Order: sequence, then structure tokens, then C-alpha cells
Amino acid sequence: MRAVCISAAQTVTGLGPDLDSLWRGVLNNESAIRPLTRFATGRYRSEIASWIEGLDCRNGVSGIHLLLERLLDGFGPVPADATLITASTKGCIDVMESINGGGTGDPAEVTMAHLLDRISGRFGLGSPGVNINAACASSTIAVARAASLIAAGRNEAVLVVCMDLVSEFVFSGFSALQALSAARCRPFDRNRDGLTLGEGGAALLLMSRERAQREGRPELGLVAGWGSANDATHITAPARDGCGLIQAVRQALNRASIGPEQIAAISAHGTATLYNDQMELTAFLTLFGERNLPMNSIKGAIGHTLGAAGGIEIALGLKCLEERILPPTVGMREPDEGGEGFLSCSAQPINGSYLLSTNSGFGGVNAAMIISRGEG
Amino acid sequence: MEVFLSGIGWVTSAGFGWGKQGGECTLADLPLRSPSRKEVFPEPNQRFGRMSDYSKVGLGAVAFALRDAGLETWSTKRTIGVVVATQLGCLVTDLDYHRSVLLEGGGLASPNLFAYTLANCFLGEAAIQFGLTGSSVAINEAREGLDSLCIAIEDLAMGEADTMLAGICDLAVPEAFAGQVTLLPGALFIVLSAAPNPATESYGTVTLTDNGLLYNGLAVASLIELVQAALAGRAAPTHFDKTLQPRKP
Repeated sequence: MRAVCISAAQTVTGLGPDLDSLWRGVLNNESAIRPLTRFATGRYRSEIASWIEGLDCRNGVSGIHLLLERLLDGFGPVPADATLITASTKGCIDVMESINGGGTGDPAEVTMAHLLDRISGRFGLGSPGVNINAACASSTIAVARAASLIAAGRNEAVLVVCMDLVSEFVFSGFSALQALSAARCRPFDRNRDGLTLGEGGAALLLMSRERAQREGRPELGLVAGWGSANDATHITAPARDGCGLIQAVRQALNRASIGPEQIAAISAHGTATLYNDQMELTAFLTLFGERNLPMNSIKGAIGHTLGAAGGIEIALGLKCLEERILPPTVGMREPDEGGEGFLSCSAQPINGSYLLSTNSGFGGVNAAMIISRGEG
Repeated sequence: MEVFLSGIGWVTSAGFGWGKQGGECTLADLPLRSPSRKEVFPEPNQRFGRMSDYSKVGLGAVAFALRDAGLETWSTKRTIGVVVATQLGCLVTDLDYHRSVLLEGGGLASPNLFAYTLANCFLGEAAIQFGLTGSSVAINEAREGLDSLCIAIEDLAMGEADTMLAGICDLAVPEAFAGQVTLLPGALFIVLSAAPNPATESYGTVTLTDNGLLYNGLAVASLIELVQAALAGRAAPTHFDKTLQPRKP
């Protein structure tokens, strides 16, 4: 197996147009969650989200294009032989809303092939690529797929682009499922009462370490291990015993050839729903025991960005390993039972080389990614 | 990487079935009917009636493929993965759900429909129904299922699972989106394993090469072509390319 490195990473979130602004924001306990103006929220359980100015669907043109422009402008060169993998649950959902509501919009935009073509064309890539749709674990699985292709020697470079918007479509759905918090979400808090949606994107360039070194590209971090599993329990709720997440993390540990004691920090999914966060704590206690292991969730800062969540969290994880600091769990006041020793309202030091990032989603999906510190 | 094909199942507008039952698998430009619960499961199934048509069609094809491979019944969960390629995913369900959002300012949005507005959700249904705990992923591609086949074979090669289902699933293109995508509606799944499946006889081998996919050593250009070759027992697709060689280990 070949070593896989991440040689470029960028994000766009409610906290700012790049990874540095995201890093500064979460480190300072800031939150981009605020009242929504994109659509009327009067009939929903919440009126807030972490949203990005200017991403409204205008004249039938999806806001995701502007998101991608902001994300990819200045991203840097991508090798022409790179394969493209995108991660999005709903793509140009705002165009579908417009058309279905009697408004304008290009029906072609509703297909993911359209987005793939645009991104592929922007970088002059030779193949159209694929979009991964695995609910809220989409981008973690996309990065895993990219790493797998490179590790097996099938590709030298893979560009992963992750994105999802805050739309009324999704907002109304989580509201109907009684999953939205009326106030800013409080991941892993004893009194949490639901999630807050967010929008954003992440772009990651994965390369074989050898190729990156040969081309003099930076090594922001290494993808050490990955895993994915279905808990086979429920469509919209996690298995209470965390069996799927435990299986995914164990796969990732095996792939990385490390033991659980070598994990130095966890970037958890932490949606702030009652069942998700409890499931994660159960899984992590099973996997790591009760040792003090820094863990956080950034969803109180940038909301739940759905198919982009894992990509944003991996990009931020690289920064965490570089700075050896895990930002606070924004929004949490008092850790839930079992979370003491893991979670903090303040930044925590990272004493080690490996960071575990996990995501779970509808359809019983669980995904785990282990990244390690790069050499700069 | 060479893997073994041991199960084939389909739900198309030309009919539904599984390989060892006999019959032909054909994708056709005809109206697609979702299978009924009785056509898929012999026993009552409380979940099936509430599912979206996209889920019923996809889950039906998964069920038939597992039946064909002798893997339908189970007592403990199994590390079997599923990957489905789709062009439009659950767009039809999205439109239905969104119509419920348009009423009363979203106050009548249907939580049940919303649960099926992800292209991967029927894979979750399959996982629950058949105890599948491997990776379950939907991908959007326009290569007639080739990418789902590649991912399944690559996952087997990487040791992610011992058995994988790979398939395609799409409903007919909704009227408002006609002309944007060319597809034949239906779902089709195959069962692949790293070693011969002890539960049933294999149809043949599928090999991933640097230049494409081979079925029993002969090139195939799509999932339906592979399936039709396997069902016919034939080993000579019309565009056999002698230059294709199995990938070196």
C-alpha cells in the first residue's frame, strides 16, 4: 500500500471564506449560527442556521456555484491526471425547489453530472468523476475512496470536493422529523435538544506521498486509515450501541496499523441530537475506555453541513494536528454523562500524531477517518 | 483483481426476477412498476409499504440478487457492502416531498417522505432487511453502472468486505426534467465475492483491468452487458477486445 498525503485543503463555511478563518473562529468559540433570511421559517421548529451570505438561488442559478467559486478560487494547481470525487447529498437542490415551485431554473443543473462536469472542466481533468452520496458521511467516505484509490496504486492524485447548501427542502425535513433545535445547537451537552443546519464546502487534494514529494507539494497530513459500516438498525436513527461506528473505527485502526491508544484526538460528528451524540459517546467509551482523550464537535460553530461535514472536519483536523490543539466544542455548556474527560468548552492540547474524524448519517451509515501529522 | 459473480437480481420495466429463476434481464424505455411486497418478500413486511418507489425498486433488486446468491436468509449480521450507481437518485421522491413543503408554508412537510430523500436510504433498508453491515454508498455517475462495479471490486481487493453488491437504480425521468438525462428505468444488482460463494454456483468471474472490465475474460462495457452475458452463459460480447488483459496483482 502506498502512503497517501493531503497536499492541499480549503474550506468555505459560515465562519469565513477559508480554512484559516474557520480555524480562528472555532478556536475563539465563535458561531456563525444566526437567523435565516433565505426563506420563511415561520412554520418550522427553528429560524436559525449557519449560512453564507450571497448563496441564494437567483434567477434559477444555484447558490452552489458561488460556493464552489469561493472554495476553488485560489485552491492551487490540481494535476490534470487527478480523479474527481465530489460529496454532496443534495447538490443544486435550490434549483429543484425553484422549478418545482413554478420558478425558473435549468433542469440540467439538478443532475449531479452537471456539477461534476463543471468542476472537472474547471481544472481540466480527464475524467468526469463520481459523486458520493452517503448522507452525512458522504465526504468522509469520499476521502476514504480517494485514499483507497491512491493506496492501491490506481490513481496518483484525487481531488475531493464536498458541498451542501442550507435549503428549505432540507430545513423543513429536519423540522418535520423534530430534529431541529430552536436555539443554537449544543453538541454533547447534557441538555442538547437537536441540531442546527449549516452550509459549506471543502476541497482536498490527495496524492501519493511519493508524487507529492517529487512535485514539491506540501504535505499537510497523511491519511492513515479509514473505515465504513452500516449499523443495519434504522433509517433515520443510529444504533444505540454504536455498533456501526465501532466497526468503522476498528476498520480504520486496522488500516492504519495502530492501536486505539495511539489516537490522540477525536473530531466527532456531534450533531447535538439526543440519539446521535449518545451513540457516539457509547462507541468511543467502548473503543477507548475512560482515558482522557480530547474530543470535539464543531457543529455548534458552523452548523451541520451534511454532505460537506466530513470534508470540512478533516481539513480542520489537519490544522489541529499542525497546531497540536483541538478547538472547543462550541455551544456545549455541560458535557453529557460519559463525556467528561473527552469534551471541553475550551481548546485542548493534542499529545500525539493521530486524529480520528467520524461521521454518521441516515441510512445507517457510519464512517471513520484517521489522519496523521504531515511534514509541512 | 478477479472476483466471483454469484447472484443477479433485477426490477425493470420489462419485469423482475433473479438469474437462477430463469428469464431475461432487459432494461427498456417503458413505464416502470414498483414491485408489491408480496412480489419481493414472502412474509409480511411492515416497512415496505411506506417506502418510496425508488426504494421499492432498488430494494427489490437487492433482495432478488441476494436470493439468487443464496444469501437472502441470515441469522447474524454480515459484513456485506452495497454500492449503487444512479443518475437521478431519488429525484421523484424529492419532488413529491417538496410538494408537501409547498403547502401551508412548509407546515405540512412529510417526515416519512423526507426520510427517503437521500439516494442511499434504500441501502439502509437493505441493510436492515438482510443484516448487511458493510459500507453502503450511492454514487452518481453516467457510466451505466461501471463505477459501481469498479468500487465493489476495489473494495473486495482492499479487503473492505468479502462480499459486495453492485448495481444501478433509477426511476423514469420526471416530465419537468425530460431530455436532461438519458436512462432506462429500473434496478439491477449483482453479488460479487472475493472467493467462490459456497452457497451457490458462480456464474463466472469479473476482472478489473487497467483498461476496463472483463467477464470470464471478455470485455464488457456496462453492468447490463455483463449481466446479460452471465445470464446467457455466453462469453463473447460483440466488441471483444483482445488487447485487454487482467490487471497485474
